[in-house]
Amino acid sequence: MTAATAPRFVRADGPDKVTGSGRYTADLTLTGMLAAKFRYAEIAHARIIRLDVSAARAMPGVFAVLTADDVPDVRFGPFVQDRTLFARDVVRYEGEVVAAVAAVNATVAQQAVDAIVVEYEPLPPITDLEAALAGDSLLVHEGWAAYGAGDPVVRDRNDASFSSITKGDVDAGFAEADHVVSSRYVADGCHAAPIEPRAVLAQWEGNKVTIWTSTQVPFDARAGVCETLEMPASRVRIIVPHLGGGFGGKCGFHYEAHIAALAKAAKRPVRLVFSRREEFFAPDRRREGMIIDVQTGVRSDGTITARKAWIAIDNGAYTTDAGFFSQLAAMHVSGPYKIPNVHIDSHLVYTNLQPSGSVRAPTAPQACWALESHTDEVAKAVGMDPVAFRKLNAVDTGDIGPSGQTYGEIGVQRCIDEATALVDYGQPLPDDEAIGVAIGWWPSFSVPSGAYLKIDGDGSAQIITGAQECGTGAVMTLRQLAADELGMNAEDFELVYQDTSVAPYDMGATGSQTLFNNGRAVVAAAGQVAEQLRSLAAEFLEAAPADIVLADGHAHVAGSPTSTVSIAELAGIAAGGELLIGHGSGAPPAAPALVGSSCVGDLGMAAFVAPQFSCHAVRVRLDRDTGVVRVMEVGTAHDSGTIINEMGALGQVEGGVMMGIGQALTEGAQYDAEGHQRNTGLLEYKLQTCADSPVIRTTFVQIVTPNAGPRGAKGLAEAPNVATAAAISNAIAKLVGQPVRQLPMTAERVWKAMQS
Amino acid sequence: MTFTIATTLEDALAAMAAGARPVAGGSDLVVAARHGKAALPASIVAIDRLGDLARVTGTDDGVRIGALATHATLMLHPLIVDSYPGLADACALVGSPATRNVGTLGGNVMNSSPAMDTGAPLLALGARVELRTVDSTRVVPLAELWTGPGRNVAATDELCTAILVPAPTAAGGTRSSSAYVRLEYRRAMEIAVVGAGASITLAADGTVESLAIALTAVAPTIISVTGLDAFVGKPLDAAALTAVGEIASEQSSPISDLRAGDSYRRHCVGVMARRAAEAAARRAAGEIIGIPVNRAFGIGAAR
Amino acid sequence: MSEDVEVRLTVNGDGYRVRVEPRKTLVDALREDCNLTGTHIGCEHGVCGACTVLVDDRAVRSCLMFAYQAEGTSIRTIEGLADADGTLHPVQAAFREAHGLQCGFCTPGFVMSIVALLDENGAPTPQEVREGLSGNLCRCTGYQTILEAVDIAAATLRATSLEATR
Repeated sequence: MTAATAPRFVRADGPDKVTGSGRYTADLTLTGMLAAKFRYAEIAHARIIRLDVSAARAMPGVFAVLTADDVPDVRFGPFVQDRTLFARDVVRYEGEVVAAVAAVNATVAQQAVDAIVVEYEPLPPITDLEAALAGDSLLVHEGWAAYGAGDPVVRDRNDASFSSITKGDVDAGFAEADHVVSSRYVADGCHAAPIEPRAVLAQWEGNKVTIWTSTQVPFDARAGVCETLEMPASRVRIIVPHLGGGFGGKCGFHYEAHIAALAKAAKRPVRLVFSRREEFFAPDRRREGMIIDVQTGVRSDGTITARKAWIAIDNGAYTTDAGFFSQLAAMHVSGPYKIPNVHIDSHLVYTNLQPSGSVRAPTAPQACWALESHTDEVAKAVGMDPVAFRKLNAVDTGDIGPSGQTYGEIGVQRCIDEATALVDYGQPLPDDEAIGVAIGWWPSFSVPSGAYLKIDGDGSAQIITGAQECGTGAVMTLRQLAADELGMNAEDFELVYQDTSVAPYDMGATGSQTLFNNGRAVVAAAGQVAEQLRSLAAEFLEAAPADIVLADGHAHVAGSPTSTVSIAELAGIAAGGELLIGHGSGAPPAAPALVGSSCVGDLGMAAFVAPQFSCHAVRVRLDRDTGVVRVMEVGTAHDSGTIINEMGALGQVEGGVMMGIGQALTEGAQYDAEGHQRNTGLLEYKLQTCADSPVIRTTFVQIVTPNAGPRGAKGLAEAPNVATAAAISNAIAKLVGQPVRQLPMTAERVWKAMQS
Repeated sequence: MTFTIATTLEDALAAMAAGARPVAGGSDLVVAARHGKAALPASIVAIDRLGDLARVTGTDDGVRIGALATHATLMLHPLIVDSYPGLADACALVGSPATRNVGTLGGNVMNSSPAMDTGAPLLALGARVELRTVDSTRVVPLAELWTGPGRNVAATDELCTAILVPAPTAAGGTRSSSAYVRLEYRRAMEIAVVGAGASITLAADGTVESLAIALTAVAPTIISVTGLDAFVGKPLDAAALTAVGEIASEQSSPISDLRAGDSYRRHCVGVMARRAAEAAARRAAGEIIGIPVNRAFGIGAAR
Repeated sequence: MSEDVEVRLTVNGDGYRVRVEPRKTLVDALREDCNLTGTHIGCEHGVCGACTVLVDDRAVRSCLMFAYQAEGTSIRTIEGLADADGTLHPVQAAFREAHGLQCGFCTPGFVMSIVALLDENGAPTPQEVREGLSGNLCRCTGYQTILEAVDIAAATLRATSLEATR
């Protein structure tokens, strides 16, 4: 057994985190540091008719007060440039930043915020997705047509990004069907809710700024600062201390530029620390609410002939990375099924609510919940067991998927077998219990990424990487990859990471991509150093470089283990000559071709590189008197390719399942008619507790998929979040007699379904 | 703002006479201040060091619970668990272990939230509070204490020093017990959406001698269900339990808010009242049902 | 603004004399005045449990308590658990071994809650552990590995106390 496959996973950051010596952003202080506070719109839609910060600026202890007039007039956004740092003329959601204050402490900063005078002319809040898409709807952005946008983004009024998938002839497909099942599902928005509320600290030295921030994507944060403050990347340094969870909530560029601008104006370091309420209602990063209408045609023998769907996704007030959500949702409502005829229309709709953005497997838990609940309805219509129905229709190796992609080796069929076996599907159960089953999928993201690796003269090694650790352990696992390339131990490597001025680019802790892409980079960098070591050892041991084997911290000649030199000794030699330094990036695997389909608004999500598959089987218990549902047992099977770090991988699955249970039952953002979120605390926004946690069992279906990452690994951090709510829904539907068509499936909604 | 730490009850009462507000565990006050719901009072007197006020003592006519007794203490206290298990049920459901370690019964009762868990069993048990000032002591039945959400009849200089719970009547072979159940969306850190406390005395023949039920979070204050005399002298069988639920449901006036809609709340009032009555009756009949009842009844039940 | 008051705190055996606003919470005093940032703030309304510390050996929410209320008590935080030579407390060691942490933000609160739990009950049932830790939220792990860590720590602590009684 190599170090890489050892069962124990000793995190490099473990000692910091269990002793309290590790520092998170809010733990940092700098000389002369000021506290930042924001003035939020606190109204969902209004025209600003007066904004007066003079009283706030005049207050003792206030060092800077900024509004849109004090920063470059730049509209930004990765897909649609519809956003400014500070509200200009119109506010479009309650958490929009109107002004920012830096003051001697948080109390004074808040007093200054309260002293800012803003007068509004209220505008009607647009919160209904279908009404917003109507041709005569009020516009969230009156000037939408003039905004810059990426080339393939298809926009029209409140439709910020339209996408469709068309394959075959959907009408002909329905004509062939013996049954047509139509369903509507509605998902509420919800939240990433990391336990660490975000924090940002900025300090200027000359014309350079250093920003410590709790971001999952330091290079994205840097790009945002550069774009909005009109600076070159070389003068902006983003450092991420330990990051207290993200789940997508800390992806994207948020407040780094606001705080940098405040620090510049105040000529002092400035720190922002969010309250829990701010963490809930302010960032442009919420899991999107959705409406899903889906219709499936099926023959009496259970084969699917056609699927049609209409999807509306709540974009909120501004378009973050949600630009590609319409296409991603379309893929998830198609599902990993063999369907000859498909037509899906998907709209990303502006509203006056908090902007949506990538939260762990964006669009997937809701879309999968809708599709898989619908799939059980379809199975019921033809009188088939839902598991048998999935086995019949789910894609397998060599099949063509709904968007025209032909799959290489994949394990979704095996996932179904394994997950159902884990919970003994089919066992007799008490009449208040049932097992629901659902399948899901998720792409691997193939993107550029870089890393350096060096071994210093004393033999100690460092991996210097652009990768970001948000808790998953993916960055920690990079040590194992390097160690295996170099015949060393994972513990021999220190990680230098989360600093944009030190390491090469990486996309960050997003898209489950760290091991997939940065793993490739680290292997490449380690390979260069291995070459150097082999040639040094060859000279030292008087052998050919090709015969040198690196193992157990030594280089030896193949076949003669006594002819050996330690890597530390070689490092000492190198320190007097050509240093041991490697760099790597590697070529990201290409996207597979699509055949026989056409996509409008194609943002690259219709073809899944190295797709990951999963099946979740969940046993629930229902209190028929109250509608309260409790999850008793979960069996999951995941095809995420080769599992390099099983302990870390299990942690991803178990955490994803628990988050999925919350989404299924208790977590939903609730809004009043005026567009204010009502549950912005952890008492009312209910995360699952330890006392709620079920037994979770997992099997990894390890298949080497074409175009996978290092050693056949695919991503894993998001996949476990996809199918849990769907499986719970199917269990509830068995007990209630019909699905609960709203997410979360709260006790009250379950009870109401039981009444009808 | 001024803070004083009282080391004697007299100090505390004097500080209150001078306008200070008492703070024991502090939780409610800190949260309200942090979130801008209520400014901190200008003057605060800490009473958490008054050890005498944390005692739980059996008396001739029941139990005297010092206002500073914590939920963690009460949920395990033999006197409470044996004779007033409904109160122990409620204490065991409050917040989380760490909040139960700090939260006090007196603070809970005087905070006067209609969503407090301990209020319903105390009201059903006929509890009273002892209110003291520098120069007076009076005892107020809980039924007369609360006047609205966060409001009560205590004057600003009156300190709640104890909660007095009468002993269950034990004449002629009767057996008494109590229970508290609540609707829970998750199994910890919940705020009651609907809760019901029941106190029952069974005659030697197993029929109802007395029955009292109080409801949490379904009206501006915790309320007592009236008209339960109709069950006296009859067995509390399945039909009677259904009727108990219906009566409770009819008497509730719940609102719709972000925790639940009114019709669902009203329905759940019936379920909780029925379960509380059933659990209390079964306990009175000698069955051991662990604390809290929520872990033995309905969805939480172990199998 | 009100006048600062002097509060004497004993944290991990060390005495601190700090001047704070009377309204200052214990967690803010620990972080800002004692420079002990291992105790984290996750919600400031007593739900997440990240700020859990021991006050006279009982687990409490340091965000729900005024600093002055802790005067005269013995406070223990995550920084005070390991031995002076750096040897981890059995609960800390168990978290590492079982991979009971990911982002680590909730970890100090969990560790302190578990120390209190196992101090009260050296051999808790699985149900007692789940209920006992229900006041600490973790978004990363799904709690499974934390529950494993409690088992490991409980076994270590039992073995240690057995050793000590021999």
